[in-house]
Amino acid sequence: MPVEPVNGHNGHNWPNGLNWLNRLDWTHTMTELTFAKIDQTVLDTLVPARRNYWFTVVLLFLGILTGAACWVYQIFVGIGVGGQNIPVAWGTYLINFVFWVGIAHSGTLISAILHLFRAGWRNPIARAAETMTVFAVCVAGLFPFIHLGRVWLVYYMLPIPTQRTLWPNFTSPLVFDVVAISTYLTVSSLFWYTGLLPDLARVRDSAVGFRKKVFTWLSLGWTGAHEQWRHYARIYLFFAALATPLVISVHSVVSWDFALGIVPGWHTTIFAPYFVAGAIHSGLAMVLTLMIPLRKIFHYEEIITMHVLESVAKTIIFTGLIVGFAYSTEFFIAWYSHNSVEEAIFIYRAFGHYAYGFFIMLTCNTMVPLLFFFKSIRTSIPWLFGISILVNIGMWYERFVIIVTSVAHDFLPNSWGLYQPTLIELGIQLGAFCLFFFLFVLFVKHMPSVSMTEMKETVAQGEGHGH
Amino acid sequence: MATDTYVMGIFGSEDQAVAAVHDLKKSAWPLVRTHSPIPSHKLAEAVQVKKSKAGWYTLFGGIIGFFSGFALAIFTAVRWDLIVSGKPVVALIPFVIVGFEFTILFAIFGNLIGFLHQSKLPRLANLKHYDSRLSGEHFGVLASCAADQQDGLQDLFRKNGGDVRVFDEQTPTNGR
Repeated sequence: MPVEPVNGHNGHNWPNGLNWLNRLDWTHTMTELTFAKIDQTVLDTLVPARRNYWFTVVLLFLGILTGAACWVYQIFVGIGVGGQNIPVAWGTYLINFVFWVGIAHSGTLISAILHLFRAGWRNPIARAAETMTVFAVCVAGLFPFIHLGRVWLVYYMLPIPTQRTLWPNFTSPLVFDVVAISTYLTVSSLFWYTGLLPDLARVRDSAVGFRKKVFTWLSLGWTGAHEQWRHYARIYLFFAALATPLVISVHSVVSWDFALGIVPGWHTTIFAPYFVAGAIHSGLAMVLTLMIPLRKIFHYEEIITMHVLESVAKTIIFTGLIVGFAYSTEFFIAWYSHNSVEEAIFIYRAFGHYAYGFFIMLTCNTMVPLLFFFKSIRTSIPWLFGISILVNIGMWYERFVIIVTSVAHDFLPNSWGLYQPTLIELGIQLGAFCLFFFLFVLFVKHMPSVSMTEMKETVAQGEGHGH
Repeated sequence: MATDTYVMGIFGSEDQAVAAVHDLKKSAWPLVRTHSPIPSHKLAEAVQVKKSKAGWYTLFGGIIGFFSGFALAIFTAVRWDLIVSGKPVVALIPFVIVGFEFTILFAIFGNLIGFLHQSKLPRLANLKHYDSRLSGEHFGVLASCAADQQDGLQDLFRKNGGDVRVFDEQTPTNGR
């Protein structure tokens, strides 16, 4: 269907007064798109894969096997095969847990928060970001299991009557975590699947044979009838409205794993907003890391335009500044409080054994993203991709610095100690990264990785799901 | 009027479908439903859809979740009512977190149940009077009529620029 060029809102005034976000007016770059072209571009990605694709899948699977083998070894030999020990009892397992929960946050930011703000540029990347969220939470959820050591006793964390007649302690931040992460996984999965329904119907209608049967079941009988859209638009809005406070609560709860302890460097009230901002920062960087190859391989250039990538880059500048502000606030408060233990830990972070991690964190998270102020850099694919990788590395090191340095150098010198990850831990970490990319690579080749429905709405009206 | 034949007008644009709905409302043939690949404000206005009631399910789910979260935390705390460091056994402030997460979780369950119930999904029989072009780039208007009046109904759709598809009991489902 040919579509007329449309600017902004099609005369629709939204009650929240946030129309300024759509001043980005990016639809001018998409006026040559038609409904048919969007369908064709996305459906073309679902054709049978070539050998290179399966080679990548096998390679990633081998990485998963490596991680699984390390975990099995740890289960048989004991948790001591990792480098965690007193005083640093939380090593890469917790670092990766926080890292992956953080990655998961930008999916909800893009699909829910930017949806409520009517930021049209989120539509081409919303599906992939939501998918990233679901898989990242799955990977994050593995690490508490891995860290348990005796993983078969995981049911101790569940509020179920057992032979022990004991119940979880709901005043513990670790139990908050169980509740928050399982809620987040459930909600983000349901949000993702509900958003997929109209597109699953589109794939069903173009498929034949067994594939048609599968997609007929998956699409639940969706026909795009006005009665279905009436309820769909309503509940999608509620999904977004409920996911928004949830996503903020989840990383706040994760931050309280640390902030509710009395360890210097952890016991601070800024941890919740600091973690949420950091989570979004890392998640947006991961969006760029995934979108740039996806755009190239699947020929999405007309859908995921440079303007979309540029908008993500601008948001990264913003989150990077928040993260930088949080870093400096921590140092300021340590100095201003005149608390000698607090002062000592921050001096140790910057100049102690793990200073390299601190400076990687500082450079990659706060300084490197400032390069996006230059238009030539934020519109250059190699720069965008390179900086996104650096931010990912920086955010991993942020968690390393927070988790390791505080307990390695707490109140009394006689309790100080150093931590170094072992090969088993690194193998499990490799497995986790491979699992994430493995799931993502499988998804993008078998399901619509761009929301055809939202793209059509964008082309027709310049906004997301209509209400 | 016996309404044993279903006729669908399939349109290349939203405006054509809206015009067909308006014409249909002036006629004696009942509109069964419309289909669109995107949520269409214009079609919704033409059909005069009412506000969805799915939100009540969401609200109900949220209320259940709020009380369930607190109830679970309080119940488990009083199973072993040991006072530690002089702190209350039923510690309401930390339980707010459990209550909050359960509120969101159950509200989402209510939201989804409301959607499925109100939209009558999952239901594969929905595909009986359907055309596979409707999820792509076409808009559909389905109406019913007596078998001997289908020519008139087809003319109405054609006059508005639509392609016509007639469904009867022998018509295979979901084909083109």
